[in-house]
Amino acid sequence: MPQVAITMPQLGESIAEATIVKFLVQPGDTVEVDQEIIEVETNKATMGVTTLCGGTITTFHVEEGVSYAVGTQLGIIEATEEEVQATGVSPIDSNTAAPEKNEQELIERTLSHGDNPAIAQQSQMDVPDSISIQPNVQGLPVPVGTKGANYISPRMRARMDELGLHAADISAIQGNGAGGRVTIEDLEAFLVGIEEWPKSKASPMRLAVADAMRRSWTRPLATVGMPVVLDKVLAHRREQNPKPGLTLYILRAFALALKEDPTSAGYLIGENIVHPKAFDIGVAVQVADGVVVPVIRNADAKTVPQLSAEYAELVEKARERKLGKETFEKGIATVTNFGTFGLVSGTPIPLPNETLILGLGAGVKKPVWSDEANVFIPVTTCELVITFDHRVVDGGGAGMLLQKIRDYLQQPEKL
Amino acid sequence: MSLTYIEAIHQAQKELLAESPDVFIYGQDVGQFGGAFKATRGLSDEFPGRVVDSPISEDAMAGMVIGAAVEGARPILEMQFADFSSVAFNQIVNQAATHYYRTGVQVPLTVRLPSGGTPGSGPFHSQNMESLYAHYPGLIVVTPATVADAYGMLKEAVMMDNPVMFCEHKFLYNWLRAEELKKNALPIGQARIVRSGKHATVVTYSAMVHEAVKAAEMLSNDGWEIEVVDLRSVKPIDLDTIMASVSRTGRLLALGESYPWGGVTAEVVSRVVAEGFHLLDAAPMRLNSKDTPVPYHPDLWAAHRPTPESIVVSLKHLLRL
Amino acid sequence: MLQTDDAESLAQIHHGFRSMVTSRTLENKLSSLYKAGKIVGGVYLGKGQEAISAALGTVLERGKDVYAPLIRDQAGRTAFGEDLLDVTRTYLGKVTGPMRGRDGNIHRGRPTEGMPAMISHLGASLSYISGMLFARRMRGELHDAIGAATFGDGATSTGAFHEGLNLAAVEKLPVITLVVNNRFAYSTPNDRQFACENLVSRAEGYGVRGHHVDGTDFLKCMETMNIAAKAARAGEGPQLVVADVLRLCGHGEHDDAKYVPKNLWDESRDCMDVAEQQLLEKGFLTPDEIAAMKEDARLKVQKAVAVAQREPTPDPYQDDWSALGS
Repeated sequence: MPQVAITMPQLGESIAEATIVKFLVQPGDTVEVDQEIIEVETNKATMGVTTLCGGTITTFHVEEGVSYAVGTQLGIIEATEEEVQATGVSPIDSNTAAPEKNEQELIERTLSHGDNPAIAQQSQMDVPDSISIQPNVQGLPVPVGTKGANYISPRMRARMDELGLHAADISAIQGNGAGGRVTIEDLEAFLVGIEEWPKSKASPMRLAVADAMRRSWTRPLATVGMPVVLDKVLAHRREQNPKPGLTLYILRAFALALKEDPTSAGYLIGENIVHPKAFDIGVAVQVADGVVVPVIRNADAKTVPQLSAEYAELVEKARERKLGKETFEKGIATVTNFGTFGLVSGTPIPLPNETLILGLGAGVKKPVWSDEANVFIPVTTCELVITFDHRVVDGGGAGMLLQKIRDYLQQPEKL
Repeated sequence: MSLTYIEAIHQAQKELLAESPDVFIYGQDVGQFGGAFKATRGLSDEFPGRVVDSPISEDAMAGMVIGAAVEGARPILEMQFADFSSVAFNQIVNQAATHYYRTGVQVPLTVRLPSGGTPGSGPFHSQNMESLYAHYPGLIVVTPATVADAYGMLKEAVMMDNPVMFCEHKFLYNWLRAEELKKNALPIGQARIVRSGKHATVVTYSAMVHEAVKAAEMLSNDGWEIEVVDLRSVKPIDLDTIMASVSRTGRLLALGESYPWGGVTAEVVSRVVAEGFHLLDAAPMRLNSKDTPVPYHPDLWAAHRPTPESIVVSLKHLLRL
Repeated sequence: MLQTDDAESLAQIHHGFRSMVTSRTLENKLSSLYKAGKIVGGVYLGKGQEAISAALGTVLERGKDVYAPLIRDQAGRTAFGEDLLDVTRTYLGKVTGPMRGRDGNIHRGRPTEGMPAMISHLGASLSYISGMLFARRMRGELHDAIGAATFGDGATSTGAFHEGLNLAAVEKLPVITLVVNNRFAYSTPNDRQFACENLVSRAEGYGVRGHHVDGTDFLKCMETMNIAAKAARAGEGPQLVVADVLRLCGHGEHDDAKYVPKNLWDESRDCMDVAEQQLLEKGFLTPDEIAAMKEDARLKVQKAVAVAQREPTPDPYQDDWSALGS
């Protein structure tokens, strides 16, 4: 026969539970519809719990003198099919007929608004699946882009602005936030940690270089290199008066090579490549605590001997820090002769507004086998390297560019 | 034909009465006297029995027009001052605003609220109620800033089937004048770009639109281009236009004449931050009146509400000048 | 006096009494459903007020008049023609009911059928009803229709009640304002609610006609309501009817009303008993007819409950969460 639940009613707004005072009937008793069968008491009043239909009380799950939450199943009435039809009550599913006296369940029943399946369903949906979502921020999954130190929250950024820090400055910090984020606490702990270390103030020049390098480093940079024989250039140089710097030959060869393929010095902005307007090539000059890059204008248009005096003066003034701001602007590529420091190889970084930088290693005398003379002969070689923005130029293109420069350097009279 | 803001309201009401026998006007002194601000001058003679003086009973006045609206009338309830609608608050927010949701029956009611301060009006004849009413589900809240909108939006409001709180600004009543009455206005629910710019967006409504434009003009001398958005209706709020503007400028100042705690400006900031955090170059700002009752003395009053000067200060802060 | 040989009057009395019986039967059932945990929220009954409530509902004509009942007006609602299913569906929060689960218990109505759905703020319905009548009069559609709004003693203390009655008086609208003084506003007794001798004395202050009646006397209630309605229909403006009763239940079914002094209970009489006795004495109904009426009510109530119980509740995922119409 259908079983109908006897339920603890909601006896007033904000009433969460009521105490069983007395059973007015006993299991086995026959009851009528609307009969008061249990006396209960809230902090507001004493009431009788009534039946939804007539039938036989089969069981009470509860005890006198004990409080139960609103919605608790207090007992069961067994009713006839005819009675269920006449009163319109919903019999309980036999699978769920026997409730456990489980406090947690009672609370959940109350929270899920009793028997309303839609709200109960919603409550279940609100519970995050803590197994599949790891880690989480306030119960929400962390999108991919926010993982790791590359996500800097506005709060973190504000603190960094206050401290004059950049993203690169905090790369040393292992983040403890959600998804490995660096939090304010991580940052403060890091700053406390470095307090005892000796420190000095970075010069404006140092900071300017740092800023330029940081900005440049946001791009995918790659470096390739190639050995170049310098003997012909060195011979040509010895014949000149005054003698031009070796760097100037390289710069001139670079300019002519770029003129043949200007796109390789192009700058990628959005979907466009911005082409060079003039072959203005910069030269890196080491100065106290930094590097400056004055620019030789129209390096494709004048020969090395013609440029020699201008170049010497430019380098001299750069070292003395006497050049105006405009001298450093609008270059399309740069040459750096790190060979002057005895370095044979390196991976220079282009200026942030340029795609290419050409580096020149120290000249080295090497024995090279000569098929004609059938002996080793001594030649002077150096490593020529080029770093490029891989978005614009590929390794092959950079190699072609180096080959062209090498070829020009074998014909110094054309320079 | 030149027309003031209050004359536009008069004109709209006159046309509404003529066009629909369902329309009537109810309020204190609206009959023979023609209303405290003359919004109904001459209308009770022209439309006998449909422009009716009420007792000083804001609660019952509101309840009465709600009942009439349920019966199919399209009442216009004139509150003598927006401030006094607090007495009718229960009827408006509990009776009118819940009516459709609860019963499925709409309440085509328009409540005219002479809002905002004028010099010397003091604490009880100067308040702006739009934020309070906008808080309640079931109400439309409009805040016309121009003569054309005062006319066009009132005509639209009265013919709407939802209850509309029509916040008309007393400072604009006679100060604002238009040479012609444009009748192809935007519909309620759409904001309007009053002035375009690229450096910052001011989102505002009602009389503050004019103060914002003055501030924008002051800043334009220094090369700053400030975009001014007139919400026109604060509920529904045209988030699309706001977001489009902020995406252009990256900076937001939400400006309103009402009190600063919560309200329309807070809503604007909250929505922009929630949906367009990534569009912002600077923390969005709000500028409202001071957090005191509206003072009586003209000098205090002028300093209580946002002024072009204080708007410029806020904008400079927003632009980090 | 009521013309007892008048067929129409007799029909009225039968209708009123049947409404009382149905109301009491229904309210007992609602109380039981509440105490069995089937009703969420509150259950507010009109026990002891059926006679005056039914009298008002009876003199009003559905489809013509407008009626704003309050929380203890089941009898009046039934007399006015409210479907029992509207009651059970609303109490059980069914989506099929007029309030669709959006509002519950006594907050139900069909405003376009002359019965607004009350809000909880007492006194607010008086101006609402006045507005309905005003709109009809403005459009020349009032004819001899009237309106009615009911209140308890507590509601007379609100500003809305005062404003509403004054407004109705100023506009001379045909509104029956029924005040059922049931001695307690929730738990507050009359002497903490008002200081005048009798609430009907306020009629003079408003410039309206006042009627005072023993609310437990069914035939007197019918007579008074007929007089008030006739006056209102005749264009005599608002009618203030004050009926004295004792609330024979708690404020709601969660309230056992322990604060009501025992002597009041003992001295009180139940209008149901009085009405039954009156109708038997006058020969308007036989004991068998009354018994049949009660059984009919029981079956109708049982059916309304059974039908509603089987119907769906609103689905939060499907409901239209819009507070504005198109």
